[in-house]
Amino acid sequence: MSKQKPTIMIVEDEWLLLQAISKKLELNGITAIPCSSGKEAIGCLDNLSELPDAIWLDYQLKDMDGIEFLGRLKKKETWTQIPVIVVSNSASENKINNMLALGAKRYLLKAEYRLDELIPIMKQFIEENKS
Amino acid sequence: MDSQNSQSVPQSIGKILPESINNVNPPFPSKKNSTKIKDKLLLIAGFSAFTIALLCIFFYLSFLSSNLTIRFFIIGATVIIVSNTVVAILLFSKKTTESAVRTNEEIEINAKNNQGHKFDGEKRDDNGQSSKYFDETTEKLKASYFEDLEEKIQDKTKALAQRIVELNFEHKKSKEAEEKALIEQAKEEATLTSIGEGVVVTDPEGKILVFNHAAEQLTNWIASEVVGRFWFETVPAMYENGGLISRIDRDMYKALTTGKKVFAESIYLQKGARKITVAITATPIIFKNQIIGAVEVFRDISHEKEIDRMKTEFISLASHQLRTPLSAVKWFCEMLLNGDAGELNTEQKEYAQNVSDSNERMISLVNSLLNISRIESGRIIIDPKPTNMNELISGVVKEIKVKSDAKKQQIIVSVHSDLPLINIDPQLIREVYINLLTNASKYTPSGGEISVFISKKDDKLISQVSDNGYGIPKKDSDKIFQKFYRGENIIKIETDGNGLGLYLVKAIIESSGGSIWFESNEGTGLPAGRQGTSFYFSLPLSGTEAKKVKVTLNSSNVYNK
Repeated sequence: MSKQKPTIMIVEDEWLLLQAISKKLELNGITAIPCSSGKEAIGCLDNLSELPDAIWLDYQLKDMDGIEFLGRLKKKETWTQIPVIVVSNSASENKINNMLALGAKRYLLKAEYRLDELIPIMKQFIEENKS
Repeated sequence: MDSQNSQSVPQSIGKILPESINNVNPPFPSKKNSTKIKDKLLLIAGFSAFTIALLCIFFYLSFLSSNLTIRFFIIGATVIIVSNTVVAILLFSKKTTESAVRTNEEIEINAKNNQGHKFDGEKRDDNGQSSKYFDETTEKLKASYFEDLEEKIQDKTKALAQRIVELNFEHKKSKEAEEKALIEQAKEEATLTSIGEGVVVTDPEGKILVFNHAAEQLTNWIASEVVGRFWFETVPAMYENGGLISRIDRDMYKALTTGKKVFAESIYLQKGARKITVAITATPIIFKNQIIGAVEVFRDISHEKEIDRMKTEFISLASHQLRTPLSAVKWFCEMLLNGDAGELNTEQKEYAQNVSDSNERMISLVNSLLNISRIESGRIIIDPKPTNMNELISGVVKEIKVKSDAKKQQIIVSVHSDLPLINIDPQLIREVYINLLTNASKYTPSGGEISVFISKKDDKLISQVSDNGYGIPKKDSDKIFQKFYRGENIIKIETDGNGLGLYLVKAIIESSGGSIWFESNEGTGLPAGRQGTSFYFSLPLSGTEAKKVKVTLNSSNVYNK
C-alpha cells in the first residue's frame, strides 16, 4: 500500500531548508524522511524496513561531506541501488566530478532551482530507477 | 804664359760654382775673402742658435700644455722648416753673389798682372762684359729668390693659419661629440638605474649586454657577473608546474626570433634557486630590418598573484556562504506564493513577490561573482559539443520572452538557413545570448524591438543582437566591457544591474576563440529607427578547443535542461 507513495530521504543540515523541502515533497505526494546529518541518515537507513526511492543529499553536512556519505552507502549492496541526487550550494571543482564518479545521479545547485522545478526532477529519477 | 793665362780666364768664367774659389790663384789670398768666410760662419752659427731657440720654445710650450702637444708640434715643425728654408735661401744667394764678386776681382788681378799683353784691350772688354753679366745675374737671382721666398712664406703662412683653424675646429668638434656621448651615457645609466623594473638587454644570441640595478635585485645576480653570459642559462624560467622552460620557448627567444613584442608571465629562478613570479615584456631591437638584440623588462608580481588568489578564494567562499540563506528565502517565498501555507491575499502576494524578486537579483549577482572568479582564475571548463544554433537560440528566446513580453517588446530571430552543427560549449554560448538579450530587453523602452541574426561569414559564425533602445554613450564605449561598469545613461533608468554581464560575455567569447564588438547610437534626439545598440560576436566555425579545467560555468547546469 505504502509502496505507491514514493519515499525520498532528505539529508540537509540547514534546518530551514530541510523543513521547506520536506513540506514541498509532502505537498506533492511524496513521503519525506528528513535527516539533519549524515549519521542520522545512515542510522535511519539501517532501521528502515523499506529503503527510500531516492536520496536528496546536500554536499556540505555538519558531520561529514557528500563524498564520505556516498562512501558509507557503498558498504551495503542494497543501498547502492538507491539513486542519489546532490542538491548543494557547494560547486567547487573536484566535488562535482567526485560525487558523480561515486555514483551520484545529478548535481544541482540549490539557489538556481525553484522547489517546483526540483520535484519533477526527483520524480523522474524515481521512475527511471524503477524501470 | 799667354796661352796659360788666356786659358785660365775662361776656365774660371765657366765655373761660377763655389769650388772654383779654391782653384783660383792660391798665391793671392785676399783680405776680403777671409772676412766673407767669417760672415758666413757667423750666419750659420746665428741660424743654428735661432733654430735651437725655436725648438726650445716649442718644446716648452708642448710641455706646458700636454693637451696641445700635437698642435704645437705641428706649428713648431712648420715654423722651423720655413725659417730653415728662408735662411738656406739667403745663404745660397749670398754665396752666389760672393762668388760672382770674387770672379770679378780675380779677373781684375789677372789683368793687372798681364799688363802690356797685346790682347789686353780685348781681355778688358771681355772682363767688362762678364762682370756686367754677373751683376745682372746676381741682381736677377736676388730678385727672383726674394720674390719666390716672399711667395713661399706667404703661402706657407696661409696654409699654416688655415691648418691651425682647421685643427682648432676639429678639436672643438671632437670634444663636443665626446661630451655629447658622455651626456647620453650618463642619462641612459641614470634612467636604467632608477627604473623599478628589471631591464636586460641582449645581443641576437641572447648574451647579456646590459643588466640594470632592479634586474640585479630581482635575480640576485650582479651585472658584472652576468654581462657576456647567456641570459637563458643565467636566469632559468619555469612553468607553474615546476618544469623548466626550454630556450626556444623563452619569451626573449621568441622576441629575438620573431621580431615581435612578447608579453608573458613566468617564474624565474634566482641565483640561489629561489623562485620569483614575474610579468615580462620582451621587445626586439630592430635596426635596418635586422634583429640586433632584444630588451626584456620584467617585474615581480608575486604579491599581486597572492592578492589575486586571495580575492578569488574570498569570492568563491563568500558566494557559497551567501547562497544558503538565499536558497531558503527563495524556497519559502515560492511556497508562500504557491499557497502552500494557505492562500495569500493580493497585497500579501505582492509583498512576497517583491521579496522573491529582490532575492533573485541577489542570487544572480552571487552567480556572476562566482563565475567571474572562476574565469579569472582560469578554472573554467570549455566543453564543446556539436550544437544546433537554431535550437540554442530558440531556447534562449523562450526564456527571455517572459521579460520582453512584459515590456511589450518584439523579438525577431533570423538564423542562416544552412548552418552546420558547430562545435561550441552550448552552456557558455547560451550564457552569452542570455546576457545580450537580457540587456537588450532591459535597456530598450516598452514597445521596442529586439533582433537576433546568426549568419556565416568566411570561416566565422557571426551573431548579432540588436535593439532600438537607449544606446551606449560614446564616452563609455571603451569601458563597457569592464568589470562592474554600467553605462552612465542607463544607470539612471535601470537600477537593476551589476555591471558584470558584458565582462563575462567578453571573457567567454574570447576564451572560445572569438571576438566581440558593438555599434551604438545613444541619444534621445535621434529618430526612432537610428538609435539603439548592436552587439556582434564571432565564433570560429571550426569550433572551440576544449579546455579541461575543473569547473564549468554553472556547475549546477551540467546535467540540466
